[in-house]
Amino acid sequence: MSSSLDSPHTASSTTPSQDTVAADRVTDRGRAGLRSLALPVGLLGLIVLGTLLSDRFLSTANLLNVLTSMSLVGIVVVGMTFVIISGGLADLSVPATLATGAIVMLSTQPTVGTALALLLAVASAGAAGLVNGILIGYGRANSIIVTLGVGTIVLGLAQAVVGGAIVYGEDPELAELVNGRVLGLVPFPVVVFALVAVVGHLALSRSVWGRWTYAVGSNYRATEASAVPVRATRAAAFLVTGLLAGLSGALLAISLQSVRPVIGTGYEFDAITAVLVGGVSVLGGFGSIPRAVAGLFFVQLLTNILVLQGISTPAQGLAKGALIAVAVGVDVHLRRRGGL
Amino acid sequence: MSATTFHRALRLVTDYRLAIMLSLTLAVAAVTVEGFVGLSTLGLSLDRASTIGLIALGLTVLLIAGQIDLSGGSIMALTGITAMALQPTLGLLGAVVAALCVGALVGAVNGLLVVRFHINSLVATLATMLAVRAVAHVATGSQPISGSDPVAGAVVVQRVVGVLTLRTVVFLVLLVLLHLWLTRTVAGRNLFAVGSNVQAATGSGVRADAYLFGAFVFGGLCSGAAGVLLSLGVNTGSPVFGETIVVTVIAAVVVGGTRLEGGRGSAIGTLGGVVTFAAITTALEFQSIPAYTQQVVTGVILIALIVLDRNATRRRASISGQQAVAPGPRVRPSSA
Amino acid sequence: MTDHVTTTDDAQAHPPALEMVGISKSFPGVRALTDVDLRVLPGRVHAIVGENGAGKSTLMKILAGVHQPDAGTLTVGGREVVIGSPLDAQRMGIGMVYQELNLVPDLSVAENICLGRMPRRFGVLDRRAMEQAATTALADLDAQVHWSTTVGDLTVSQQQLVEICKVYASRPDIVVLDEPTSSLSEHESQVLFDVVRRMRDRGISVIYISHRLREVLEIADDVTVLRDGHRIESRPVAGLTPADMIRLMVGRDLTEVFPKREVELGETVLEVRGLTRSGAFADVDLNIRRGEIVGLAGLVGSGRTEVARALFGLDRADAGSVVVAGRPVDVRRPGHAVAAGVAYVPEDRKADGIVPALSVRDNLSLASLGRRSRAGMVLARQERALAGEQIASLGVSPAAPERRIDTLSGGNQQKVVLGKWLATRPHVLILDEPTRGVDVGAKADIHRIIGDLAASGVGILLISSELPEVLAVSDRVLVLHEGRVAADLSAADATEAAVMHAATGQEAA
Repeated sequence: MSSSLDSPHTASSTTPSQDTVAADRVTDRGRAGLRSLALPVGLLGLIVLGTLLSDRFLSTANLLNVLTSMSLVGIVVVGMTFVIISGGLADLSVPATLATGAIVMLSTQPTVGTALALLLAVASAGAAGLVNGILIGYGRANSIIVTLGVGTIVLGLAQAVVGGAIVYGEDPELAELVNGRVLGLVPFPVVVFALVAVVGHLALSRSVWGRWTYAVGSNYRATEASAVPVRATRAAAFLVTGLLAGLSGALLAISLQSVRPVIGTGYEFDAITAVLVGGVSVLGGFGSIPRAVAGLFFVQLLTNILVLQGISTPAQGLAKGALIAVAVGVDVHLRRRGGL
Repeated sequence: MSATTFHRALRLVTDYRLAIMLSLTLAVAAVTVEGFVGLSTLGLSLDRASTIGLIALGLTVLLIAGQIDLSGGSIMALTGITAMALQPTLGLLGAVVAALCVGALVGAVNGLLVVRFHINSLVATLATMLAVRAVAHVATGSQPISGSDPVAGAVVVQRVVGVLTLRTVVFLVLLVLLHLWLTRTVAGRNLFAVGSNVQAATGSGVRADAYLFGAFVFGGLCSGAAGVLLSLGVNTGSPVFGETIVVTVIAAVVVGGTRLEGGRGSAIGTLGGVVTFAAITTALEFQSIPAYTQQVVTGVILIALIVLDRNATRRRASISGQQAVAPGPRVRPSSA
Repeated sequence: MTDHVTTTDDAQAHPPALEMVGISKSFPGVRALTDVDLRVLPGRVHAIVGENGAGKSTLMKILAGVHQPDAGTLTVGGREVVIGSPLDAQRMGIGMVYQELNLVPDLSVAENICLGRMPRRFGVLDRRAMEQAATTALADLDAQVHWSTTVGDLTVSQQQLVEICKVYASRPDIVVLDEPTSSLSEHESQVLFDVVRRMRDRGISVIYISHRLREVLEIADDVTVLRDGHRIESRPVAGLTPADMIRLMVGRDLTEVFPKREVELGETVLEVRGLTRSGAFADVDLNIRRGEIVGLAGLVGSGRTEVARALFGLDRADAGSVVVAGRPVDVRRPGHAVAAGVAYVPEDRKADGIVPALSVRDNLSLASLGRRSRAGMVLARQERALAGEQIASLGVSPAAPERRIDTLSGGNQQKVVLGKWLATRPHVLILDEPTRGVDVGAKADIHRIIGDLAASGVGILLISSELPEVLAVSDRVLVLHEGRVAADLSAADATEAAVMHAATGQEAA
């Protein structure tokens, strides 16, 4: 896969059993253009709109705010991109794994220290992701039901462990670090997110495993017939998402120094919305991390504009729901016109 | 235990899982809950079960048709709010009708997204789930709202038939009607066909699109009814109602024997599943086990069922044939 | 083609149930049917025979309303008609029973038989009437199936009977059976024949498509032979021998001559003994030497692809041994096969061959990423080099490695799939219908590539339904019949007639 927003060619007609030449090139290019340009144009449009609607929009403070809030979701978005591209549809256990990471981070840090606590947090969230991966990749069970079920179990366990109360952190200094800036410029979470996104992008676009992920999402059978370990590839996507959600949760916990088990609510939908809006196909096999990040940017900017206009959080949920429907609808439309 | 014996045992458990689960649960409940077997506790359990049960009826129809619906909980919240909000102006009956219309409308949106725009039902109902929940929050400013006439509303929790509340009766009546429709009408049988092999159904002239659309509308209505009855009972409509209910509903329907892949299911089975979960909830609550632990139990059951389900699906006789192998002598390879 | 239809006086008295005159049909790059006539009389079983690709299924698809003919007329029951869709066909009294059954597994036999036409009473399902309709249909055809059984629980043969009853219950005038006995045992086939006879005795015209010549002689009254999209002959079955039919089916000039290279054969690179997979094939022995091209011939359903899949690890064999380049291997997954040096170009390009969303370059490297990566990261330069090499040597057009593979023509896609496997440097290459759906130019290219490969020391197993191709390219031909090796012919002995004899289960001529 190329490193920029992926290949500009879209699907052409399905190959009938008889020999056929490629579909009409002109409409192909048109559709391809739509796919590549829609997002940058949309982003530009949003920026223009935001500037027009509020003079606070373009201020450094506001933009940094957007970046920071975007980062924690962004870490999860990277994982969710793997899941969707591999054809896994979605990982609905993110609120639970995120909460697990958060709770383990804060509760173990006093005893074992920051580094180990972070490791434990990520690992415990990853364990849940592993269970998802095994049931979905090897057990071939429905990913939505499995992640819903596992998520419910893990969240319940998390709440049981803390007895339904709030967990408090004991390290305000660490909180300051995480809430502060690196090199006086960039907020800490943004740095972490950028790192994760870059590594994720390299993995997805240049590694063997990334190639396998695209292949599995595009045509499972053919990929299996090409001697690729398809089940492990499917499972890995969910494992990674669990790990990343744990990381995000740990960061969030340090930042807030207090955790309620419901801390992760909504993260999964935000991540899915971002990925879908970015043009990653819910059917699998198409998309990239840059696209997902662009989608995340779009959603966050939109949310920010709404917030600046004083529109409540729930109303933003409405916008997100509509966005998902539109993004997927467009994707399906493009696919059907161009064939599978 | 040898491999074959294990497989046979597994098969038995899978086939009779509803009966096994139900009896186990009832036994455990009877032992752990004082007076569980008493009629009044039973009546109470059933009353609470009816909320899940109503949504489960809608989901049963959709699963049979080979689709899924995640928006039930959100619809429930929205219709409850609608009923409470409109009660002063439209009166009890008017408000209920309006609320049901809202439910059906959301169902229609789901149907439109799936049938007309060919969006995967999972993604579509995910989107409506988010959107409707948001509407509920926006409409109420994230605050619960009270109805204007608690006394009139309380009628739903009145015992009308023995220990059964009005709510329970509505659920049971609807269940029986659904069962009859599924098993005894042409449309019901066609629904199974659509979920089991949509090409075969369409090829025989069954209008699959119409059935799918109707199924979603029905699902919306059921969730709507659940929301209305819930809110009337506590005289409150809240945007956070039903946030975690979807998992329990799916689990109940799957326990009842309805398959996730479509083509198989029954209303009576759903009843069994719903009762099972009601019993579990009652037993756990009686032990003062908090809600989140109940969630764990629900989740574990759901996962266990899926794994068992996978086993069972692999056994099914496939429609495409195997090749016949002729008896005969072996031809020695020519030494090249 | 001159009209060879010989009718008896009896038949002349009744108008034909179906008359297809001058039917021609082409698809891009392929001429499927040329000026074909078919006349089917009522109350007769009319068989249509021909090799794979002779045009049988295209003709039937036209009858079923799936395709429209480019030229020619259709007359059903004396009236000229246009069959625009499958529903049209049904309405005109044409019932189709395909090989892939079209039943609803979770409903009962009765419900399947009455699907779409279930009887009502006072708005609800009239169970009794449905039961009755089903029982009557089942009884008319003497099918030993109970109306209440869930279809998914029936055996394949029973399901097929249900499908036939379903078609019969809508009172058709014409019923088409497409290779109905391919999944049936001897006994089950006899049951099917009784059903066919019963339908015939009720005045239904049964069109029976089959490869199995003995069956055709047993069950059919008339037969039409197709070859290369042309009708060769139509006549009553009486007086025909299998040898006659084979002669009609295959007699042709070999117009396409494929260059055959003289290659020195090396040591045995693949040795298979007693390979068995229940329900698919049994006791298959196979030897291939380096540089040798062994053709695997047989009718559709004889188990060729199943053997290939088992050798490659896509399916598990129940018994048998496989030795590759002197080392015994246990192939349980494709990964094992590739590691052992076996590669498989599958039959169904779209389902098992190409990954549509990926570029040509990515498809080319998919099976050999291990060689072109380090520490898990793909070495882009090496990958590009591979792509360039393959595209050039295979003649992939357009020579654009970045393009999505599904924008290429079928022939070029096939070359890419071939290239993917060549990149794994196999000892043994199994090709399953490598030139199916490929235009003439690409076909010639692919044959050249196969020749080059053999010359370089690879052992090749070529599965093809196109006899001329198999005969021209192979050094030896193994013929499968119903899952068993029926003949192992050297190049000299392998004539079309000999292969067809073995493939149809005839004793050696």
